[in-house]
Amino acid sequence: MRILIIPLLFFTTAFLLNFNSAIEIPENFQKSNHTNNWAVLVDTSRFWFNYRHVANVLSIYRSVKRLGIPDSQIILMISDDMACNPRNPRPATIFNNAHEQINVYGDDVEVDYRGYEVSVENFVRLLTGRVPPNTPRSKQLLTDEGSNILIYLTGHGGDGFLKFQDSEEVTSQELADALEQMWQKRRYNEIFFIIDTCQASSMYEKFYSPNILATASSLVGEDSLSHHVDSAIGVYIIDRYTYYVLEFLENVHPNSQRTMSEFLAVCPKSACLSTVGVRRDLFKRDPSKVPITDFFGSVRPVVITTDPIDIVDIPKRKKTVQNKTKVPEKRNYLPQFPMHLVQTT
Amino acid sequence: MSKQEPKSEIEESNRMWASASFVGVLIIIGLPLWWKTTEVYRVALPYDKISSFSELPSIITSELTVLANDEQSASEIVGAIQKAFEGEDILKLKIKKTIISDDLHRTLESVADEQDAIEEVGAAFDLTQHNQFYVVQRRPLFQDVWLGGERVMFFRDTKAAPTLIQALKHWVYQTKVLSGARSSVADSARRTRFPPGAAYHVVLSVVHPKPDKLSVDFDAEEAVEDYIGSFVDELSVLHNFTLKSQWLYLLDFDFQAKEIKDKSEWGRHFAVRQERLHLLLTSLEERAATHVSELPTLNLALYAAPCHAAPLIIHDQRGQPVQSPVQAFMSPKWGGVVLASPGQAECQAPQPRWRPNVRVVMGTFISQLRKLLGIADTPSIPGGFLEPLRSVTPRRWEVDSLLRLRTVEQLTSAERTLQSLAQLLGEISNIVINDEVGASINSAVDSIQEASEVMSQGHLVEAYRVSLKAHTAAETAFMEPSLLALLYFPDDQKYAIYIPLFLPIMFPVILSLKNLFLWFRGKTVQKEKTE
Repeated sequence: MRILIIPLLFFTTAFLLNFNSAIEIPENFQKSNHTNNWAVLVDTSRFWFNYRHVANVLSIYRSVKRLGIPDSQIILMISDDMACNPRNPRPATIFNNAHEQINVYGDDVEVDYRGYEVSVENFVRLLTGRVPPNTPRSKQLLTDEGSNILIYLTGHGGDGFLKFQDSEEVTSQELADALEQMWQKRRYNEIFFIIDTCQASSMYEKFYSPNILATASSLVGEDSLSHHVDSAIGVYIIDRYTYYVLEFLENVHPNSQRTMSEFLAVCPKSACLSTVGVRRDLFKRDPSKVPITDFFGSVRPVVITTDPIDIVDIPKRKKTVQNKTKVPEKRNYLPQFPMHLVQTT
Repeated sequence: MSKQEPKSEIEESNRMWASASFVGVLIIIGLPLWWKTTEVYRVALPYDKISSFSELPSIITSELTVLANDEQSASEIVGAIQKAFEGEDILKLKIKKTIISDDLHRTLESVADEQDAIEEVGAAFDLTQHNQFYVVQRRPLFQDVWLGGERVMFFRDTKAAPTLIQALKHWVYQTKVLSGARSSVADSARRTRFPPGAAYHVVLSVVHPKPDKLSVDFDAEEAVEDYIGSFVDELSVLHNFTLKSQWLYLLDFDFQAKEIKDKSEWGRHFAVRQERLHLLLTSLEERAATHVSELPTLNLALYAAPCHAAPLIIHDQRGQPVQSPVQAFMSPKWGGVVLASPGQAECQAPQPRWRPNVRVVMGTFISQLRKLLGIADTPSIPGGFLEPLRSVTPRRWEVDSLLRLRTVEQLTSAERTLQSLAQLLGEISNIVINDEVGASINSAVDSIQEASEVMSQGHLVEAYRVSLKAHTAAETAFMEPSLLALLYFPDDQKYAIYIPLFLPIMFPVILSLKNLFLWFRGKTVQKEKTE
């Protein structure tokens, strides 16, 4: 029996060693196996004094677009149209800093859900995929098992909820359940969840689905604060957390080697005045080894085709009955005086 | 005193009966009624059937007929094939062996061409049936094994058995891709092909950045109709297709291509780095409006390179030019792009006019479409000869293989969807299951069972159809918009509603319970005493 066991032991250890070396990745980064990237960016509050929330979400939109996520894979929800607000001294613009350097409204912003379409119901429907029939594909989150999703929420929140539009709120439990349903339906590979509201960390505390990395601008019991006022516009124009996030993202390029742990430490308490919360127990990889472009950038695998079919017999499809009218439309001038309407006796 | 006593006793008993009736209405009728009416509505679901899906046999039976010259080689080949396919968990081969009739034998030995030989076999056997395959011995063969577009494979003699088995596994039945459809982690073929569905939308966009400098003669509509139309006609048993074509002018995309001198007619080419190709897809998407259709869209794009940037050659990551007759690339689950460049002669004409080679362009698109729709690549096998495709029509056994693949894929997906739905209903207690959702769950469960039965009987087309039904029903059940009817209702809000409603009534009722209880006991004690 012993004779048998020894080679078996040897074999298992050899196998284990092999296995270990297969898991360890020699590079600095742990390789992600996602095949596409999506972003869901939501601003939940309306009215002019919440200008900063729209500026927040549009700034993030601008960054992810610059880093390569195509518009077809960004779902942008904005509750109010600040650019066309009558109180906007500079119509058709939205700025995210007092020097008015970058107009984040820009020339190419594709808003998918706007105004009163931004509701809890539509948001949960979007995540779970339970959209009403005939919803256009651009308003659906068409993710699959290989999708990495960036979710960014901003607005006014409290302990355990995020207010949508002044009339309703999404609770942390609802959000956690929606994410679980996404996981069960294999609608994501990994999620990076960012929330910039008061008591923001309460929103991710109830999450229980795997592969989610979450960060929040403040802990429970803390307020998230805004950054600065533009005296020309007359309102606060960006929140502190998002301001520092953007400062960080502006230095990120599609090929840069920045990691998620750098992102998570982007706003120390001295700058944010609130404590940035992080939840990483659901996330399997080590954030210090995950490149930021896994969530903010976009992968699009491209396969070179080298085997075209050399078609010898040229096909001719039997023409199906065409419902084209070949008769040219006859046009002529109407008589200048409608004699045909006049009864002549 | 003595007069008042019975009166107060009557009063007392009236009062007690009154409070007893309150208790009766509130606790005995009210509470169960409240419980019943606030219950989450759920249709009874076949949980036991859903949980037993894993025990359901998922075997596809396929018929294989071995035709050999003599009894001995026939049984030798059959034995080898049987042994090789023993370990397959999805595919089960029903092997029949037949001795070739003398007539057929003579003709098979005498005809020179394999195509003629196939016609001879076709005259004797019905080759048009799905899920049937013939392995035929033919001595005058240059290779061990020969496979063409029909459901027939030739082999030379019994020595060719290992090659024959390789060819059956990797070409005809594609067992690896088939088991990849069931695995939880997507393999490369599954990452490439579109997810299963009843219908697809195919759009060919001709991208023409400089219409003022070059005119392009390309009848996109006819090309789509003839080439892609003929191709998808062959797959009509699987999916419905809608075909469209469009022109996109003035699409401004900078390849950042580097000019490199070479020995071609131009004396140069522009090197496009592979890493930049995906950016073209992004800029195409902005203009192509591919998501107007509700169906998943397969995008095909012909990029007509302008004269000042022609010819475009793709360079791979190592900086080497791609060795291929055509410059083209494909993005998994998205579509394919062909970069076509005009020749020097066309560009230097006073009025530059260029006619792209439709045959080559469309041949590339068909090759990409095949992969995107799930027709797997065929690896080369030493000793085996696979007749290269010369037309847009897929090989007959490829369609069978695709049917098998999609059936397994749809069935697996439907089973998983229902299982996760059942698990979710357990985890999240306030999901409403209304009658429609219940009906589609039931229909999906029935279809899954039916499909698995039909599959094991070997009726492939029927199995595909039923599995598609199961897949669609399961998806509708999971994605039904009404599943959201009752959003989460937190406990503290429940208290906030029910306490003001119930507390003022329940408080005196519950307090009176004690009195009531004592009174009833006292009464019985009194009765006992008087007796």
